[in-house]
Order: sequence, then structure tokens, then C-alpha cells
Amino acid sequence: MSLPPDFGNLVVLLPVVTLIVFAALTLLFGVFTRERAALGGLALTGVIAALVFTVFLWLQAREGGLAVTALGGAFRGDALSYAFSFVILVGAGLALVLADGHRVRLELDQPEFHPLLLLAASGGLVLVSAGDLVVLLLGLEIMSLAVYVLAAWRERSRVSEEAGMKYFLLGAFASAVLVYGIALTFGATGRFDFAGIAVAALAPGFEAGGLLLLGALFVLIGLAFKVGFVPFHQWLPDVYTGAPTPVTAFMSVVVKTAAFGALLRTTGTLVEALGVGPIGEVLPAVLVVVIGSTMVVGNFGALLQSGVKRMLAYSAVAHAGYVGLAVLAGGEAGLQAASYYLLTYTFTTVAAFAVLLSLMDDDDRGDRIERLAGLGRRRPWLAASLAVVMLSLAGFPPFAGFIGKAVVFQAAIAAGHAALAVLGIATAVVAVVFYARVVMTMYMREPDAHTPVARPIPRRTAVVLSIGLVATVVFGLFPGLWLDWIARASWWSAGF
Amino acid sequence: MIAALMVLLPLAVALALPWAKRPAVHRPLAVLGVAVTLALGVLATGDAGSVEVAWVPALGTWFALDATGAGGILARIAAAVMLPTVLWAGARVDDRPQVFLAWLLATLAGLVGIFLARDLVLFYVFWELTLLPALAMLAGWGLTHRRAATVKYLLYAVAGSFAMLLSVLAIRPLSGAEGYRFDQLLAAAPLLDPLTQTWIFAGFAFAFAIKLPIFPLHVWLIDVHEQNHPSGAADVAGTLYKVGGFGLFAWSMPLLPEGATALAPLGLALGAFTAVYAAMIATRHAHLKRALAYASLSHMGIVAVGLFSLHLAGQSGSMALLAAQMVTTGGMFLISGMLHDRRGTFELEAFGGLARGAPALAAATLVVLFASVGVPGLANFPGEFLALLGTFQAAPAAAVVAVLASIALGAFAVGLYQRLFQGEARERAHEIKPLEVAVFAPIVALTLWLGVAPAANLAVFEREAAAAQVAATAVAPPADAPVLGGAR
Repeated sequence: MSLPPDFGNLVVLLPVVTLIVFAALTLLFGVFTRERAALGGLALTGVIAALVFTVFLWLQAREGGLAVTALGGAFRGDALSYAFSFVILVGAGLALVLADGHRVRLELDQPEFHPLLLLAASGGLVLVSAGDLVVLLLGLEIMSLAVYVLAAWRERSRVSEEAGMKYFLLGAFASAVLVYGIALTFGATGRFDFAGIAVAALAPGFEAGGLLLLGALFVLIGLAFKVGFVPFHQWLPDVYTGAPTPVTAFMSVVVKTAAFGALLRTTGTLVEALGVGPIGEVLPAVLVVVIGSTMVVGNFGALLQSGVKRMLAYSAVAHAGYVGLAVLAGGEAGLQAASYYLLTYTFTTVAAFAVLLSLMDDDDRGDRIERLAGLGRRRPWLAASLAVVMLSLAGFPPFAGFIGKAVVFQAAIAAGHAALAVLGIATAVVAVVFYARVVMTMYMREPDAHTPVARPIPRRTAVVLSIGLVATVVFGLFPGLWLDWIARASWWSAGF
Repeated sequence: MIAALMVLLPLAVALALPWAKRPAVHRPLAVLGVAVTLALGVLATGDAGSVEVAWVPALGTWFALDATGAGGILARIAAAVMLPTVLWAGARVDDRPQVFLAWLLATLAGLVGIFLARDLVLFYVFWELTLLPALAMLAGWGLTHRRAATVKYLLYAVAGSFAMLLSVLAIRPLSGAEGYRFDQLLAAAPLLDPLTQTWIFAGFAFAFAIKLPIFPLHVWLIDVHEQNHPSGAADVAGTLYKVGGFGLFAWSMPLLPEGATALAPLGLALGAFTAVYAAMIATRHAHLKRALAYASLSHMGIVAVGLFSLHLAGQSGSMALLAAQMVTTGGMFLISGMLHDRRGTFELEAFGGLARGAPALAAATLVVLFASVGVPGLANFPGEFLALLGTFQAAPAAAVVAVLASIALGAFAVGLYQRLFQGEARERAHEIKPLEVAVFAPIVALTLWLGVAPAANLAVFEREAAAAQVAATAVAPPADAPVLGGAR
């Protein structure tokens, strides 16, 4: 048996393997111990270990200045995969601690919870590191199957079950479309790997452009489902509202980041492969329409919500549109902008859910905005935290959300999509209204007799909240910490 | 380095104030913070007056501040006006005064940042930052209908700043400038083709017109002033924050000369109309703060006219007028707080005859009020005169209209003084108090100084306006140069 030439590079699989090993360990210990807190600690150790390995590999790759592949190019270690793996692991770690703080109250203390969370994260790592479409599908399925279960976690809660079912049915449908797209792409080019697809499509005499375009559109639809692009966003508000809040946090940071990593790589490859002819213009045009309507629908949808959790769900759609601008811009600027946006969005969103968790009822329901009335005086710190989060999401400087918007809009303008950037700005004004409504309710509305009192924040949640807030401010003031780091990284298409 | 301290120090005091436990230290701490900022402003000359550090190399932005130019003058005056404001607010705001003072200091930090920033992204960041304290003071300490006023203000401000953000983000990639520092942009942006310049300029101008403000984007201003805390301190902060004119002068006009030329007729027309329209309303208004807001809106119309005259004298005059009205309009809002103390309302019909009980207050008010409408020898006159003079040479029609405003404003001032201080007193008003004297002192001193010795400031404004024009013509290639790509 002959080994592929990059067999020795198996080390790039280390973060994924670490997560899987720890998932197995957590499952195993869960059978023998009743000590659930220890399981959370074990799972967190796994995430941190994977994070350390990722950073270690990243540093090494920067020194070498070249992308590393393993398993015959099926698995890649490059700037994109490391940057997105980093964000995924940070998000997974924060969501995990968030869940642990409310474990008992939200009935998240069955032994399967932590292993599933770790498996979902490992699927995300595979997704952003995939070097070919089959591994991409594999990663997507590993991640999604675990998240389907997590979304439906609360057995006595109908909304939670509904959320899981809805997510599963629509997700399965999206996966089927993705598989179909992969098949068509393979039919057109005879290749699964990104590098091979581009080479085959650009080779002289390639005539299956139409077929490749169809395949590309199907692949993108499959991924658009996971990131929540309009019109494939329908599941998102219901699932976000129905899933246990820590799981919602996990989905809105980890799942989204992973899907965007895959989308960035796939779009970059397919746009390049389709070339500059009339066929090549279709894909960007479709993306422009999809991203434009995502920004519009997300923001106007959020405007109409009366529940904070549901508002955040629509706002997640809107932010997907903004990250979509970076995907459309592509190239190094796109990678820089998208990864920065998602990193800061991770911190800010987790902080938002941390606050939300202490405002909602014991059974994880009740997120109406009226509950926030008077929070500014009753719980000044909690209110101030949520205000910072909302301002950052709305794109106010000096918080990270502002720089995030600035970099994606600049990337879009530089790539020639000024009109879409104008639309983005216009919808961002709409967004300010619903984020400001939260802040104004906290500070300008007096509580009445029905306004419930926010419960004290568990210490672990407070830690997550502090990390989220500090990062939101620090990355807003010093965005170079991430942007300059990425700018000097080896560019991910080096292997093409 | 001192320039950086001018921003960081008030910010640090603002962050520290809410933590100070003992009420006795709140006001002294805030006053000290402003005073030291002012002192730093005076010291910030030469090399110490500017700072330049790479901020985000990947974005091409710099932490670049410069206190030696036109912005430095405005920053110093803003700090000087903030001094009596903090003194006054500390005594007049009863509900969480330390937080209110913190917002005032945050405003000062943001304003200094706006005036000193020499990097466009940094300018935008400060521009937005200053909005937060303005909204917070209105939302937290305003009157009954503050909610609607806050929403209106927020929407106008955000619509404007996002339009500007788009222009900020477009100007570098489209012009191919190396970075966002003013000199880097100046080397490339004026070369953009006229149409692109016009669009980018329009984005800036929209934001600046809202913050100037000029008709028809002024609606928020009046409600905000009416609903602000009755001490008038938040109104002073709002007056200092009318930085649209500065934005035009320091950023969009030098960087986009073709865009400015294309949109100058519109700016002249709207500015002239605003000046007259607002002055007319001011003379008739029965609510003191709304009347003051309209009067200040009228000044802003003249500022706009002077700037869009694209004439050296007009532009430097506008800047001088902007600086002067910070003092005089700000002063008038503080006085409105003192008057509210005496009558408990802003409705003008409740006033009258105050001069009998409080002749010193009447005299001091007279100085500030007349200065604000451009009486010679006092603060607003040199700027207003030059702005109109420059406009007469470049665009006589607009100047003729705008001059009418200055006449109407004169009538407004006389009428207002009569309604407040003369006539029969229904109840005796108490005379000026030591605190009020302390508040008046810097305002009156500045009013006289800006009126009597305007030359030094005007020279700086004119130097800067001239430098921008020279730079624009030096960068632009000869008319018969070949057209290449996006660049002319």
C-alpha cells in the first residue's frame, strides 16, 4: 500500500482528533460518574487543548509561509482553516461555559450534552479545513447531526422539539441539495478537490461550464442554508427561539462561523473556476441578490420582533448578510474581513446570550422586550453590558462591531460592489432602531408590577460575559491585533 | 504627545467619575479634568502638538492628532466653554450628577478628538463616539417628551454618520490612497473624477448637513434642545457638537474640491435659506430654548454659506463664526438655565422685568446675547462679517439673502432682551449669585477676546483654507492630461 506524499502532515488533524478524543472521554466518564460539573471541565479542557494545538500549528505555518495539506490534499492547514478554527474553538469554549452555568436549571446535565457539543465543534473544524467537497460534506454532517440533537434537547418542551425537528428536516434537505451539487460538480470536472476543480475547469477545452455552474449553485444553496442566507433562512428564527439558549448561542457562533469558512473557500474556488465568461458572471450576480435580500430581510425582520431572542435570530440573518459581503469580495481582504467579523461577532453574541440567560424565566421562556424595563436602575452593570453589546452589534465605534462593518464594507467597495455596500449601510440604519430599542427600554422605561426581576448571574456566566465584553472593546480599539495578524499570514489559495 | 493627552485625560476622568463615592469630589474632579485639558491645549504647540502612531496598518489607519491648526483652536475653545458648563452642571443636576458630569467629560474627549483627528477613520470614530453622551444626557436627564426627541435625534444622526461611513470607506480604495491620514488622502483623493468626487462628497455633506445643521435636516435640533435638562448644560454640549461646518472645512472640501464645486450651489441655497428662515422663526418663538435653538440654526446657515462660497475669506470667516458661536450660543444656553432657576419655565410670557431684581444678570446677558447676533467688537462679529464678505465676492445672491438673516437676528436679540428683562416684573427675581458669576466670567472673557483680537485665529483658519486650495491645484494634473482609468 502506498502512502500519499503528505502522509507525514497528519499533525494538522491534531485539533480535530483532540476534540473527538475528549468527546469520547467525556461520554465514557459520563457513564460512570454523577459529577456533571467535572464533565464540563473535561470538555472545556478538550476545547482549550484543541485551541492550543491550532495556535501552535498556525504559528508554525506562518513561519513556513505555506499551506500544509494532509490525506492527499483532503485536509488543509492554511490561513483560512486556522483562522476559522480559532474562532470556532473560542465560540465553542464560551458557549460551553455558558451552558455549564445554567446546566441544572435548563436540564442540560445529561451525560451526552458535552460530547455532542465537542463533536459539533470538531465537525466545524473539518468543515473549514476541508480540501475537497467530500470532506466538506463530512464535516457538515458531523456538525449538523450533533446540533440537531442539541436543538431538541429539552424533552418536555414542545418548542425545543419543534426546533430540533424543523432544523433536522430542513437541514437534511439542504444536505441533499449539497450532495447533488457535489455530484454535478464532479460530473463537470471529474474532481472533488478544490485545487483540482479549478485546474480542470480552467484547462483549455473545458466545455461543461453550464453543468459546473449548476453544481456550484447547488453547493452554495446547501451552505447558504447553514449560514442563514435569504431565502434559506426560514428555519432560523424558530430554531433559535426554540433551542435551549446556550445551544442557540452555540449555533449562532460556531455553526455560522464554520459554514462561512466553507462558503468562503467554496465560493473562492468556484468563482475562479467558472472564469470570466458569461457563465462566470452568473454566480456573483446570484450572490449579490442573495446577500442584498439577506441584509434587507434580516434587518426588517428584526425590526418587527417583540422578543429579544427572536430579534437576535433575525439580527443573525442580517449579520450573515454583512459577512456575505466579505465572501463576495473574496481574496485576502475577504478572508480578513470575514474572519474579523465572525471573531468579534462571536464574543459579542455570546455576551448577549449571557445577559439574556439571566433575564429569562426558569423554563428558558419569556424574552419579551418589556422585561428589560428599568434594568438600567435595577441592575446597572447588567444593563450597561447589554448596552455595549447592542451598540457593538449596531456598529457604533469604538466597539468591535463598527470595525467589523467597516472592513466588510470596504472590502465590498474595493471589489466593485459599491451599490451593495450602500444597501448594507441603509439597512444598518434600520438595525440601529431595534438595537436602540433594547437600550432605551432598559434606561427610559419604568418597570411595572409584572416586570420580573433578573436573577443573579452565575459566576461562570459572569466570566463569559466579561470575556465577551472585554474582547468587544479591545478588538474595537485595536483591530490590528487580528487584522494585521491575518494580513501577514500565508494566503490560503497558495495550494491551488 | 500632549495632543493625545487632550483626548485621553477627559476620557479617563469621565470613566473615573461614576466610581467616585463622595459627592463632594464630583464637581471639583470634573472641573479639574476640563481645566487640565484646556491647559494641555494651550501647551500643545510645535512638536508636542501632534502625534502620529500606526493604528491598524491592515486598514491603513493612524492614530494621528494635531492640535496646531484650525482644529486646535476649536478644541481649546470647546474646552474653555466646557469649564463653566461643568461648574454649572455639577451644581444644577441633582439626579446622579457624577454620571452627568462623566457624560460631559466624555463629550469633551470626543470633541477634542473630532477637532484634532488627522486620520479620517479616527475622525469618524470620534464623531460617532460623541453621539453617545449627547443621547445619554437627553435620554437620562431630559424632560417628559424626551423619548421621541431621542429617537428622532438618533435616527437623524445615525443616517448621517452611516452615509459618511460609506464615503469614508469608499474614498481610499477608489482613490488608491496609501492610507487614511489626511496628507495621504490629500495626495490622491482630489485626483478622482468629478462624478465620483460628487458622490463621495454628497455622503459627507449629508452627515455634515445634519450636524451643522441646515434646513431641511435640522428638525431634530429643536426638539433636542427643548427636551434637554433645564440646566442648559446638555445644550452647551450639543452646541459644541455642531461640528458639521468643521467637517466640511477640514475634510470634505480639501479632499474633494470638484465635489465641493459641484454641490456648492445647493449648499449656498440651503444655507442662505436656513439663515433667514430660522432667524424669522426665532424672533417669533415663545419658548426660550426653542428660540435660542432657531437663532443658533440661523448662525449655522451663515456658516454654511461662508463655507460653500469656496472663497478664502468666506471659509475662514465661517470657522471663526463657528468658534464664536460655541461661546455665545453655549453661553446663552447656560443663561437659559439660570433664568429657568428664577421662573421655573422656559415660556417667555412668564418672564419680564428681571432687570429690576437682577441688573447684573441683565447686563451680563446683554453682552452674550448681543455678541451672539454679531454686534461689532464682540465674538461673532469678525466671523460673520468675513463669512458674508467672502460670499459677496463669490456668490452675491446668497450673501444678500444671508445678510437679511443677520438683520432679523438683531431684531431677535433686542426683542428677547425686552421680553426677558424689561417691562413689569410679576415677582422679584434674585440677583446674580457667586456661582453664576463664576460661570459668566469665562464666557464673557472669551466673548470679548474673540471679538477684540480675532486676527490670530483668523490667520490660522485662512492659512489652512489656502493650503488646502494650493494642495488641490498642485495635485491636479493639467487640463490636457490624458484620461486614465478612474483618475482624471
